[in-house]
Amino acid sequence: MSGKSKAFTKEEELLLQDFSRNVSTKSSALFYGNAFIVSAIPIWLFWRIHLIDLYSNLISFVLVTLASTYALALAYKNTKFILKHKIAVKREDAVTKEISRKLAEDKKMSKKEKDERILWKKNEVADYEATTFSIFYNNALFLAFVIVSSFYILKTFTPAVNYILSVGVTSAVLALLSFI
Amino acid sequence: MNKIFFSYALASVIISVAFATDKVCLKPEIVASSYVTEDATVLTNVAFTMQFVLKCSNGVKGISLYAEVEGKLLPAARLSADNKYQISWTEDIKKARSGDYYIKLYDEDKYNAVRKAIRNGESSDSVSPLAVVVLNNPGVYLGPWVNSEFLAAFLASFVSYSAFSAKYKLLA
Repeated sequence: MSGKSKAFTKEEELLLQDFSRNVSTKSSALFYGNAFIVSAIPIWLFWRIHLIDLYSNLISFVLVTLASTYALALAYKNTKFILKHKIAVKREDAVTKEISRKLAEDKKMSKKEKDERILWKKNEVADYEATTFSIFYNNALFLAFVIVSSFYILKTFTPAVNYILSVGVTSAVLALLSFI
Repeated sequence: MNKIFFSYALASVIISVAFATDKVCLKPEIVASSYVTEDATVLTNVAFTMQFVLKCSNGVKGISLYAEVEGKLLPAARLSADNKYQISWTEDIKKARSGDYYIKLYDEDKYNAVRKAIRNGESSDSVSPLAVVVLNNPGVYLGPWVNSEFLAAFLASFVSYSAFSAKYKLLA
């Protein structure tokens, strides 16, 4: 394709976007916002339950929360990418049936346009489902790991070390697992 | 004459003291209140304490009292001149059963009889107590049946499991 490569057509661009790991700005904001909230929740747990001193550990709270936000957002993104196409395949029949029924009376619409609409709807459904499921899945795993590690595995450590290790390691592990 | 008077006075004092220790409480009536430390999550031993006021029909005051609870002999502390007493003891958390504790109260004579009975290997039941007071231990609190962190971990794990299996189904 060297030298002679043509610019992609609009349809090809759309198709590429569907299959890329990049997410839209809206979706990205949702991921980062969610990741930040979930990463900040363990601060409450350590402050009220593990009785950590809030002010002397402020720096580690900020750093760990930021690192964990980034790692979780990465995990959301990867999980969404993996799930999206699987979901698209699973929901294809149902979406096709529904759209066809809706468009059945519209005789003027060409077959191609109908197919495009089905594709677009399928993509939207899969995107939405993958986004929400990815957030749910990673949040559930994150909170479960943090609770188990902070209360049982790292019980003997001081709360400050316990916090850094449990939140840091959990978010890192989730980010790594999301690549598989 | 002086000498005789002095010795008479001395004798009367000795006799009155002797009688005072020997005073017997007739028809004893007891008004008691008790307290048991129930929160065993922060304790190593459970403390039982009971305060009571002894009333005698013959108006006897200030006698020494002793108590026997579950085979333990205890002196009752006199709190004030108007026959107010207190009995307290501690027990290991594991041994402290819930329910009624019968505190048998004895005066000096009966207490001696109880000690003699115990020394001779006999039951202290042969000596009838001055009064029996019931102290109720509603049961000590050893913490919740399920730790809150265990419950949290269990619920979070359950949700994670459902998330994991849902993902597995989607990817299958």
